[in-house]
Amino acid sequence: MARMKFYCDAERCIECNACVTACKNEHEIPWGVNRRRVVTIKDGEQGERSLSVACMHCSDAPCATVCPVDCFYTTGDGIVLHDKDICIGCGYCFYACPFGAPQFPEEAAFASRGKMDKCTFCAGGPEEDHSSDEYKKYGRNRLSEGKLPLCAEMCSTKALLSGDADVISDIYRKRVINRGSSAFNWGGNAKITG
Amino acid sequence: MKIQTLLLLVGLLLPQLALADGPPEQKNFPQGVSTERLGDELWREVRQRDMQSSGISQVKGVDSGILINARGDQWARFRMDQLSTFGGIGIAAIFAIIVLFYVVRGRVPIEGGLSGNMVHRFTDYERVVHWTLAIVFLFLAITGLILLLGRPLLLPLFGKEVFSILASASKEGHNLFGPLFLVSLIMMLISFARRNLYERGDMTWLLKGGGLIGDGHASGGFFNMGEKTWYWMVILIGLVIAISGLILVSPNFGQGRLIMGLSHVVHTIGAIILIAVSIGHMYLGSIGSEGALEGMKTGYVDINWADAHHDRWGKVCHEENLIIPAEEYARLQGQKPGSTDEMATAEQGK
Repeated sequence: MARMKFYCDAERCIECNACVTACKNEHEIPWGVNRRRVVTIKDGEQGERSLSVACMHCSDAPCATVCPVDCFYTTGDGIVLHDKDICIGCGYCFYACPFGAPQFPEEAAFASRGKMDKCTFCAGGPEEDHSSDEYKKYGRNRLSEGKLPLCAEMCSTKALLSGDADVISDIYRKRVINRGSSAFNWGGNAKITG
Repeated sequence: MKIQTLLLLVGLLLPQLALADGPPEQKNFPQGVSTERLGDELWREVRQRDMQSSGISQVKGVDSGILINARGDQWARFRMDQLSTFGGIGIAAIFAIIVLFYVVRGRVPIEGGLSGNMVHRFTDYERVVHWTLAIVFLFLAITGLILLLGRPLLLPLFGKEVFSILASASKEGHNLFGPLFLVSLIMMLISFARRNLYERGDMTWLLKGGGLIGDGHASGGFFNMGEKTWYWMVILIGLVIAISGLILVSPNFGQGRLIMGLSHVVHTIGAIILIAVSIGHMYLGSIGSEGALEGMKTGYVDINWADAHHDRWGKVCHEENLIIPAEEYARLQGQKPGSTDEMATAEQGK
């Protein structure tokens, strides 16, 4: 079995927000909910870097640990999914998640939380694959069609990578080695963050 | 042999020691190339190791500029390992102690039995305030405990689907009735605060352990020191719970995860303390002490009960002739419930 992972290359991300837009469009995500976001550190200063972040599908996910109704589960591919029929919208996963991945649609007065929504690695949910219920609750199920998450697939600079952890880390390792050698060849003050 | 191995060891270690002497950086690299790793700085910032720094994001939302919230996992661990475990054990332990106490000590009877002569203690309004707060408190305690302890205790019994419905109802009910707790708490503060101020003689109650240590009853006024302490615990911890609860219930004022996690911890610790002590209060007010429930049920208590548990107040009742004889009390009870209070207040005014 594969172990699915995202990786965002800080040297390549140009903060175009295409991943954010693609995700919203692909899954018809409502206003106010963003499964993915791009964060820029040191914007406009030396050393500015951007990273695209969503649910990182942790091996030992804090959201699953803290959920009072135990609605999370990990698929055979290592993707952390949740059951919206079980979720009660308490917000504990949002407090616990390091990446700020869980999102809550504002449902009623005083922004009372609706059921949690987050990145599914384009793998749908517990509903039957490609059913309308699944699409309505969790968005498109691309993984069952043999496709990887759309955000990474359409990244223009290939900063955002998705797929089996071994493959992803191999690609990234090669990038780092290439960058390392070219930095010395330039003879300048090249700084690498990889 | 031994010396040879020692020499071998020294030989092996020496080159490493030599390396450790000088600074290893930039030795083998061509001049002019900085090998300073900016990555260290970037990832330190991302991981929030030294500072709580925030970037910017086109996605607008609470904390959306923070890449990694390092406190989240801390909060999750504290909730799972400490709060729910020790909270649950603590409440269960207090409950067990009280059951044990009841088995050993039994119900505390009134010396000389009930006289039938009554004295007015609480007005209708005061009793409504008490029971409103009590019912709201019990509802919030039960729904809150379902959310805190339901996953380990109830979920295996009911299964995920059924427990989810229960937990969802608990969450909605808790959020809906939470603000009512603050309202009834303020009503409680206004109507009972004056009589709960500490006064001379309260220390003797404490020294006698509230009557638990030694023989005889500990001295008390209208409220004894234990009741006063419980009252101020309810008011002060209750206010903390109410405020932290309001922070948690409406996430639309831009409060971040740090504040909400902290509020959750304060809210839960406060609630566990109040729930644990409330078990003792409920016990003493009902089966633990004969004649105690009458005061909150009817508004009147037996004069013998007053003398036994609140001797200083009982003395005042005797001196000011506030005692309603049994026949008079029976006549009062026969009348419409609404008029009993007026009679009593008229009598108190004498």
